Amino acid sequence: MPADVPGSRSERTEGAARPGGVASAPEGGPSQAVDSVLDALDPDRDRPANVIETHGLGLSFGSKPVLSSIDMQFGRGTITALIGPTGSGKSTFLRSLNRMNDKVVGFRHEGDATLDGRSIWDPGTDLLDLRRRVGMLFQRPNPFPMSIRDNVVAGVRAHRIAKGKQLDVVAEQRLRKVGLWDAVKDRLHDTPFRLSGGQQQLLCLARALAVGPDVLLLDEPTSSLDPISTEYIEAMLAELVPALTLIVVTHNLGQARRVSHRTMFFYDGQLVEQGPTEDLFERPTNLQTERYVMGRFG
Amino acid sequence: MPRARRRAVFTVLFRAGTVLALLLVLSPAVWLLGGVVAKAVPHWQWNVLWTNLRGEDGGLLGPIVGTLVLMAGVLLIAGSVGVLAGIHLAELGRPGRHGGPGGTWLRMASDVLAGFPSIVLGYVGYVALVVGLHWEFSLLPALLVLSVMVVPYIAKATETALRQVPVSYREGAEALGMSMGHSMRKVVLKSAAPGIVTGLLIGLAIAGGETAPLLFTAGFSSTVWTGSLVHSQGFGYLTYLVYQFWSYPVKHANYLSYDAGLILVVMVLLLLVAARVIVARTQRHSEYRGR
Repeated sequence: MPADVPGSRSERTEGAARPGGVASAPEGGPSQAVDSVLDALDPDRDRPANVIETHGLGLSFGSKPVLSSIDMQFGRGTITALIGPTGSGKSTFLRSLNRMNDKVVGFRHEGDATLDGRSIWDPGTDLLDLRRRVGMLFQRPNPFPMSIRDNVVAGVRAHRIAKGKQLDVVAEQRLRKVGLWDAVKDRLHDTPFRLSGGQQQLLCLARALAVGPDVLLLDEPTSSLDPISTEYIEAMLAELVPALTLIVVTHNLGQARRVSHRTMFFYDGQLVEQGPTEDLFERPTNLQTERYVMGRFG
Repeated sequence: MPRARRRAVFTVLFRAGTVLALLLVLSPAVWLLGGVVAKAVPHWQWNVLWTNLRGEDGGLLGPIVGTLVLMAGVLLIAGSVGVLAGIHLAELGRPGRHGGPGGTWLRMASDVLAGFPSIVLGYVGYVALVVGLHWEFSLLPALLVLSVMVVPYIAKATETALRQVPVSYREGAEALGMSMGHSMRKVVLKSAAPGIVTGLLIGLAIAGGETAPLLFTAGFSSTVWTGSLVHSQGFGYLTYLVYQFWSYPVKHANYLSYDAGLILVVMVLLLLVAARVIVARTQRHSEYRGR
């Protein structure tokens, strides 16, 4: 499925004529007019092609550097996989993008990370809104101790996006979106903890989607799930692009290969290699990358 | 002795030990409950609940109202102060250094306070409030002293309960962009509710069951509480009668003593039931229900 949407949004933005550039386009004709109309309808047309960029981003806890000078661009509407052995810094990198590390004792960063061109550490950036726009899914499903329906709308309530009867609509919509509606529609007011692990993770996905994020950070989202749930979630991820941009940390190399457009390989706090997933797996330029993707070390 | 046999003997001894401990806890509780019921029920008359006390005659309306007002007041004052202090200790400041600014001092002060003999606190209340501020024997000094007594328990219970809330709930709330206040109200406190309710329950039971500090601050009077916080020249509460009328050379006074004991026991039982209901309501979606 990812093959159908290779870097679609960013490619389109680059390839399609932008408004203003229409007149100087080499070939005219009706299709171009349609393109320009479609382009004008594109809500992302005035946004940078890359949702998130990091510029020389370095992270450390106390005196211990965890990552150094990462330069990376995440194209809008793409899926990027972060791979590397345990302790390579990929999770730390991921958790920095919605500033989940800020409260860790001794956390420091240098360089910068931007969301739509604006630093996420800018004093004018509203942390709560940043986290609404950059959602997160964790390794272990973590529903809240409230009913299934309240779980889905927990963030919607916090951000006052909807209220009253609208919440039921939002809940149904998001549960349908993740394909959980039929399984839970008769027990919306029950505890979520009797759902299977895979269903709980889908519930958490619905909860994250409900606040309308642009980016979703996924920290090994299937590593605690059975193969069937894993397959289902992978298919779900492919459906979320190009509306969303996904960044997935995974230990599962097959998963990185199946779902992602680009892959970043971390080793020992360095971004060793990154590129289109196909290239990185088939023609790695770095020896460490090659050994890792071949399964020589893990 | 072969190892398997040694283990079997050990298991039997250990089981016997736990059963013995259980009996040691249960028997005084059953004995007390049975004793109070056996002494109070034979001469029980419902009208003690709504009749005024006249000397050693009449009913227990005044003391019942007094004890209920004390409990409500302590719930209000010590409950809010204690829960807020617990939240401060568990949630504020940088992680790894719980309690933020002054946390260490707050915790130490709270522990010292919890170790104070209640009669000393009562005397301090007498000197500072009843005499020092000319409040006389009345509700407010009694409430303040009782509250000072139970705040450490409530704060400790709240802190402990909050620290046991799974990190994954907090992280989930944080990652959704919930403000700290929102995640506190909607996610964290709910999950910590059983521990906090237990703390409040201990506080209320102490408020209902204390005598010593009240002798110094509430004094005693057989009239029903007038609604004034200070200058009320004393008011009634049940524990005083249990203590005072038990050895009185008047039969009706002895009866009232046992009645007061029974009413206190029933109040505490009702509190326990209420606490169970509240806990069940907040935990109906809990991850740990039924374990």
